[in-house]
Amino acid sequence: MLSNTGITLVILTTLLSITVIYKSFVDLHIKNNLVNQKILNLVTFQTTFSILSFIVLIVAFVISDFSLVNVYENSHTKKPLFYKISGAWGSHEGSLLLWINILVIFSFLFLVFTKHNNKSYLLYTLIFQNFLILGFLIFLLINSNPFSKIYPIPIEGLGLNPILQDPALAIHPPLLYIGFVGSSIYFSAGIASLISNCRDKFFAKSIKPWVLISWSFQTLGITAGSIWAYYELGWGGFWFWDPVENASLMPWFVITALMHSVIVLEKRNSIYSWVIILCLLTFTISVTGTFLVRSGILNSVHTFANDPSRGLYILIFLSLMIFLALIVFFRYSKKEEYNFLLKSKETLILANNWFMFFFLTAVMIGTLYPIILEVLNNTKISVGPPFYSAVIFPFVIPFLIFMALGPKINWIKNKYKEFLSNFLILIAAIILNFLIYFLLGKYSIISNLIIISSIFLIIHSVKDLLTFFKNKTVSDISRIISHLGFGMLILFIGISHNFTTENDFNLKVGEKKKFSVYQINFNSIQMENEKNYKKIVGEFRLINLKSNFEEILYPEIRIYEQPETLTYEASIKTKLSSDIYLTMSNISRSDYYNIKFQKKPFMIWIWISAILIASGGFIRLIKIKTR
Amino acid sequence: MKKIILIIFFLTFSHLKSDEVTKLHIEIYKNLRCLVCQGQSIADSNSEFAQTVKLVVKDKINEGKSKKEIYEFLISKYGEWIVYQPRFNRGNFLLWFLPYLILIFGAIIIYALIKKRKNNKAN
Repeated sequence: MLSNTGITLVILTTLLSITVIYKSFVDLHIKNNLVNQKILNLVTFQTTFSILSFIVLIVAFVISDFSLVNVYENSHTKKPLFYKISGAWGSHEGSLLLWINILVIFSFLFLVFTKHNNKSYLLYTLIFQNFLILGFLIFLLINSNPFSKIYPIPIEGLGLNPILQDPALAIHPPLLYIGFVGSSIYFSAGIASLISNCRDKFFAKSIKPWVLISWSFQTLGITAGSIWAYYELGWGGFWFWDPVENASLMPWFVITALMHSVIVLEKRNSIYSWVIILCLLTFTISVTGTFLVRSGILNSVHTFANDPSRGLYILIFLSLMIFLALIVFFRYSKKEEYNFLLKSKETLILANNWFMFFFLTAVMIGTLYPIILEVLNNTKISVGPPFYSAVIFPFVIPFLIFMALGPKINWIKNKYKEFLSNFLILIAAIILNFLIYFLLGKYSIISNLIIISSIFLIIHSVKDLLTFFKNKTVSDISRIISHLGFGMLILFIGISHNFTTENDFNLKVGEKKKFSVYQINFNSIQMENEKNYKKIVGEFRLINLKSNFEEILYPEIRIYEQPETLTYEASIKTKLSSDIYLTMSNISRSDYYNIKFQKKPFMIWIWISAILIASGGFIRLIKIKTR
Repeated sequence: MKKIILIIFFLTFSHLKSDEVTKLHIEIYKNLRCLVCQGQSIADSNSEFAQTVKLVVKDKINEGKSKKEIYEFLISKYGEWIVYQPRFNRGNFLLWFLPYLILIFGAIIIYALIKKRKNNKAN
């Protein structure tokens, strides 16, 4: 029943897409300044049907309708309601439907909110967006139908992978998808802009809100993914430069570059072609990332849904997309005159793009090189954290300095005074760095430089923030907040990277272990039954011998029944100043348990900083709306 | 300024000795891939394979082997796949240098754009 309803709704959405494309082409030839009301109605229906189909899927998960293969494979009656709902986008098929929904919703919103603009630009955007929608709908219908039926109807489902049952991960795909898929709208708008010759300032203004939305959500999505990795994967880290993590980071670099460049296009009417390239690239890289993740080419801790046939379809679709974009670009792009001053905002924003592309290439090569090398040379190599630290970290230093100085370049009137204040801030940053150095412990030269430059950026941002509150003439509060967040992010990552106390040892129940200033007593172990799993809970007493501070920790080993899986739940005590992180795992054929202990300073501040970065985007968005 | 740099040099290098054993262990664990897992390091993994490799590393450190020797030993047994830091060699040449090539390329483009402006101004 639900299956039929779902499929019907999807097919209706598909038919409406085709109609929208056809009607838009017809409307292009009608001399009228407004987009035909009928098209708007069609798009409204299309959006409604598409959202309804997704609701049907959620309902199927909530009532555990196992006549749907997708529900059978990814859900279970005993699962908590929250994870039943999030199971709807936990599988490949469901997440593809979510993907299509975002494509459709963005196309609808774009049409509604860009109402009084150039008609042919709007129509072409709609046409290309609907080609994208159609492409993914066909993929869904022929290869990944979330409404496929199973017969006979099973009485019980197989359950969702337990490590996916986590609040951060439940919201991670929607957030990330709004970012990834949201970029489709300026992919379409970019092509439309070239063809309809609706360029420059006007184009920049029309895509800016969408760039901000997708950027902010993508930032939050990546953050949610990291938080999940930290809490759920049980190794105490939050970023491993894993191929799948990289796949989410690569589009972020391009969107960030685009977000900055769009300002140049809006304010100075310059670098139009470059902005178009970035528009096209963002969505292309998003789809490429999805292809890599879904095809199972990458070896990653995050691959949950892969199948080579999906990869092939996405690859064909991707090639068509790139091919089309390139043809349009070279057919319609015009030569531009550039006008740059060395000390201008434009040049410094180009510097931002320059670093972004360096980071992008480093991450991209690191991710793809092992795959290519294996095909060409039959050697398997691993590219992991040491590579990225070596290649990327040194360049974070000048990047942070540029971030601090760049936004102010216009205001330089009194050169001497400006130089003096920068010099004082630098001195302050160096002094603070050495305070950390002597209070917390020693670290390498490169870490010193990174921490100095991040403090430099933080002081600059705080100073700007104070000026903002004093006289509200400074308009870019959103920039200040995002840059402040970024400075803090790097600072706290630097501190947590250098001052994590960790140990790895094996203990039996009743034993204790002393190291540095800590003592850990393994008090007891207990078996407990939960709704959909059994758990072994260890009780540990952690004593800080120096300050006599005590803490009881309860790490768990969980045994899930559907599907049968072992997971290791870390016991985490979060404080503003530090996190204590303890995991326990069984060693087979022995009474010993492997214990991993970590004390990580300022962990929670990493999340706060990342959220601060994203909130800058949201603030700018609100400001655009209220203007 | 020079003095400060000297102090940094001095402190960083003199400090490394204390508490070295466990730090070295963990550093090596983190740089090794757990071959039976999906994208986890030996430090992160709870698998038996990881336990075994940890023991091997401990033994080798007790024998007085250096980090490099331990990596070489493991590579000879399991292949390059096991270490997360790719080696500098002919096969990995592009991996290590392509990012910098892009960096230089970008610098040239930006330089050219600014220079053009200067010429325009002169004209």
